[in-house]
Amino acid sequence: MKKPAVPLILNDFEKQEKEVSLNLGMPGLRIQYFRGPVWGKTNEQLRKQIVEGNNPITGKPVMPELVEKLVKPLTAEEQKTGTLQQNMGPKTYTGTPDELQKLFLQKRYTDFLPVVLPTEDKVAEMLKFTSHQPTEVLGKMNPGSEAGEAWTYTVKDAAISAVMAGAQPEYFPVILALGSTGMTAVNVSDNGFMAGAVINGKIRDEIGLNYKEGAVGPYAQANTTIGRAWSLLSINGGNCGKVGTTYMGTIGNPMNLIGIIIAENEEKSPFKPLSVRRGFKEGENIVTLFMGWGILSAKNWAADVWGPNMNYPGIIKEIYNTQDGSLFGTCVVLSPPVANFVKDAGYDTVEKFTEWVTGLQPGAKPAPRGNLNSGIRMSGGTFTVIVTGGSNNNYFSMGGMVPSQSVPIDKWR
Amino acid sequence: MKLRIAVIAILCIGLFCSASMLSNQTYAQGKRDVSANGPVVMPKITVLNPMGTPPPITLVPQASRLGTLEGKTIYFINTGYIGTDRLMSVMMDWFKANYPKTNIVYKDNTSGAGLAEISKALWTEISEKGDAAIVGLGH
Repeated sequence: MKKPAVPLILNDFEKQEKEVSLNLGMPGLRIQYFRGPVWGKTNEQLRKQIVEGNNPITGKPVMPELVEKLVKPLTAEEQKTGTLQQNMGPKTYTGTPDELQKLFLQKRYTDFLPVVLPTEDKVAEMLKFTSHQPTEVLGKMNPGSEAGEAWTYTVKDAAISAVMAGAQPEYFPVILALGSTGMTAVNVSDNGFMAGAVINGKIRDEIGLNYKEGAVGPYAQANTTIGRAWSLLSINGGNCGKVGTTYMGTIGNPMNLIGIIIAENEEKSPFKPLSVRRGFKEGENIVTLFMGWGILSAKNWAADVWGPNMNYPGIIKEIYNTQDGSLFGTCVVLSPPVANFVKDAGYDTVEKFTEWVTGLQPGAKPAPRGNLNSGIRMSGGTFTVIVTGGSNNNYFSMGGMVPSQSVPIDKWR
Repeated sequence: MKLRIAVIAILCIGLFCSASMLSNQTYAQGKRDVSANGPVVMPKITVLNPMGTPPPITLVPQASRLGTLEGKTIYFINTGYIGTDRLMSVMMDWFKANYPKTNIVYKDNTSGAGLAEISKALWTEISEKGDAAIVGLGH
């Protein structure tokens, strides 16, 4: 455009925008900051707080400052050209274990929990479980939205994060499959998104993924450390998860620590596995990635629907119809007993159940997102069914998650 | 009877003192080990840096500034985040009141998806007809 432009941004994003501006090659980009948020305020409030108010960072009146950014001549610094190489530090660190734990914490290589220190030996053990070369580029990742550029990481980088997470080497092909997608487990959004994955195939038993009682909980080594490895790879490989720059959740999301790693209980499910429904062969080792809010909602416990005679399909349909699925659709995680209730009610395939719940023909897309100001109630959007867990009670979980891509795991062995 | 009790008491006291001396000796012996050999030093290990690689940064000089707003055309671009229309409305009122000789143009690019969704056509229009832009990025 070659014309001066000044972005208007809330002062809370200053740290992030400095990093973004640097990454874009304009470290001194003239941004006009002001106090927000803007959403929900009247014109009068905005006039008083912003137009007649001061920049919280500089203390100067906002509007004259904005004009200055448009008219004042550029400094020499603002006119610089050239290339900057970013220094990522040395390839190795030497110290006592205590010193290294502190160092890794200070450098934000961790998720604020102690890590398994990644010695060359431990990383070599991890790398034995893939035929791919350590120097092979595994993927490129950014934190999501426009908050950062894509960093590149190798198979070895993934092995380092996998060791740090406490993952066993036999989990490594799954971790590589996740890393190969470039999808972050730790999204920057101020909405506080989480990431998850559903694993199908024989690999579930091979590496000890839990798909019985506690299936979606954290108390299984494979499930938990695979999720943690994906998060650590996102933090270190993709520069995600840095509060103030690449992690801006207004409230945040506790599921960003280890995500949600689900192995379907294929043996007890009356339905085809998720991977088969997404076009893969039965028994193939597949991981399907998800993004969204998670799978827990107080809506699961609506008053007056829990009693001796349970209409599970009806309850699920009601929740679908009353939640806003405009961003991430609806995802229901059925325990095997509830899945069998659904089947016994006449929906012997997920496709039939989906058609009944959503009112959409197979393959049809949900209604487009409406205007947030119009008062129109949103539909539940896409509808995804996962079956996992034990048979010790009739429970299910329902929230907002949408599948993004499914990738084969075996190519990473 | 009293003699027997006294003997038992003396034996008990003796046992207690021996035990105490033994534990003190052990403790003293331990302290002597630490002090004799110096403080215990944890061995050092070498670990790998886990970071990935960012792309290099190519510095981009900013566009020249206007010097003055008088007679200039300023575009206000709303990229669609909720509330930006109201904010820009009150800001434009201020510009009109304080810079009456500045031409203000408002463009509503209500995709809600930020800078990346501003159309090429709009950037071209600003290049041809405008002198500067104020872009409402959100929040």
